[in-house]
Amino acid sequence: MISIPTIGPDKHQRDDTWSCLLERVGQSRDEQAFAQLFAHFAPLIKGFCLGNLNSNFPADSADEVVQEVMFKVWQKSPGYDSTKAAASTWIYTVMRNCRIDLMRRHKRTATDNGGIEIDDIWDEADDDQAFVYLQQASNEALIDKSFTQLPPEQRQVLTQVYMQGKTHQQISDETGLPLGTVKSRVRIGLKKMQTLIAGSEKITEKLKGNFL
Amino acid sequence: MINHHPDDNLLTEYASGSLANALGIIVCAHLQNCPHCRQRVEHLNKLGAAILKQSATEPVKAETFDQLMARIRSQSPVADVDSAAKVQQTHVSYEKDPMLKRLPKVIAKLLPSDGKLKWQRASGSLKIARLRAGQQQYEISFQRISCGGKVVEHDHRGLEVTLVLHGSFSDEDGIYSEGDFLVRTPGEVHRPTATQNQDCLCISVVEAPVKVTGLFGKFLNPFLSFHPA
Repeated sequence: MISIPTIGPDKHQRDDTWSCLLERVGQSRDEQAFAQLFAHFAPLIKGFCLGNLNSNFPADSADEVVQEVMFKVWQKSPGYDSTKAAASTWIYTVMRNCRIDLMRRHKRTATDNGGIEIDDIWDEADDDQAFVYLQQASNEALIDKSFTQLPPEQRQVLTQVYMQGKTHQQISDETGLPLGTVKSRVRIGLKKMQTLIAGSEKITEKLKGNFL
Repeated sequence: MINHHPDDNLLTEYASGSLANALGIIVCAHLQNCPHCRQRVEHLNKLGAAILKQSATEPVKAETFDQLMARIRSQSPVADVDSAAKVQQTHVSYEKDPMLKRLPKVIAKLLPSDGKLKWQRASGSLKIARLRAGQQQYEISFQRISCGGKVVEHDHRGLEVTLVLHGSFSDEDGIYSEGDFLVRTPGEVHRPTATQNQDCLCISVVEAPVKVTGLFGKFLNPFLSFHPA
């Protein structure tokens, strides 16, 4: 029996709303639902991309990214399953893959990709692993909350990693922090989140080690 | 049983999308066989979503949505289906090879579509085949060690990441079996040996040329010429 973590009802409710809308887009190509998703997520996606300062990604193309991401959301939504992921997590992965794709295109690297696409490489899905999904809807809210509770330096380095899409080495080069420091901040931040999540659980023992 | 996994830093780089393609391929192939790491990545994706949800919102130009809808309507619905159902046919010649016929799908896509995978004998027991993945940073190759075979001792000037795809091998530090994920950092010296009962197939990604440390190795070193592709 999987324990259901305590969740703030508001947060859960909101995530459910987006997931329902996304399913309507996928299943019945509902443009009204898509407009609602766009109104909510497009400004967040743009904000996320503009957090991407000093990167090799051109800042003036934030609107281009927003359109590309939402286009992919429309295209891929028939494959969305709300029992496997919350809408925000699913949209995050679509956005991430889009950004990798666009960055590669802007850098004009390699033309012959040997038939391999970004979505082939950044695809952790597997069909026969239903058990993994049981816990997923449950801890979204806990991850959100634990992230806000991290000490600033860990929060900052994780934000840089995600928003700027940079390797630890690139962050080290740009900030002047030793590589080992960047790595340990990421690791400690993740461990700390795990502890915070476990602390929010009623049955701490069962979920120990669940975050990573 | 998979005993060796990517560390938190590497998985974070994967989940945040900063990892180089070549390393992403190896991590993805590991994930396809490792529910444990898949769950770790799922959590890291949720962290990405948390950061997205907490981003400062930036107003999007009013016309963006209409432009997007116009673009969507101009796409024929068939195009959606086509891209979703795009399945790559694996060349029949790979089906005959027990080692190649059940590869993680991301690895299967690296096989040349004409069925001509070029194996080069690097030493008595080691054969390698270079793979193309549309990038210049890393060399990606299959390494096939015949059962009981030893590979010339070598050290690493650059990062080397290896995933065991079939069989197992051992070195000074332990035994590695199917699904195990290994990272060798510059300066480490090792001498892999395949187990006695079967051949071992690995895929590896190397950042910089590997140098052979043994006296005769110089003539046998498969990595002396570095060919990222």
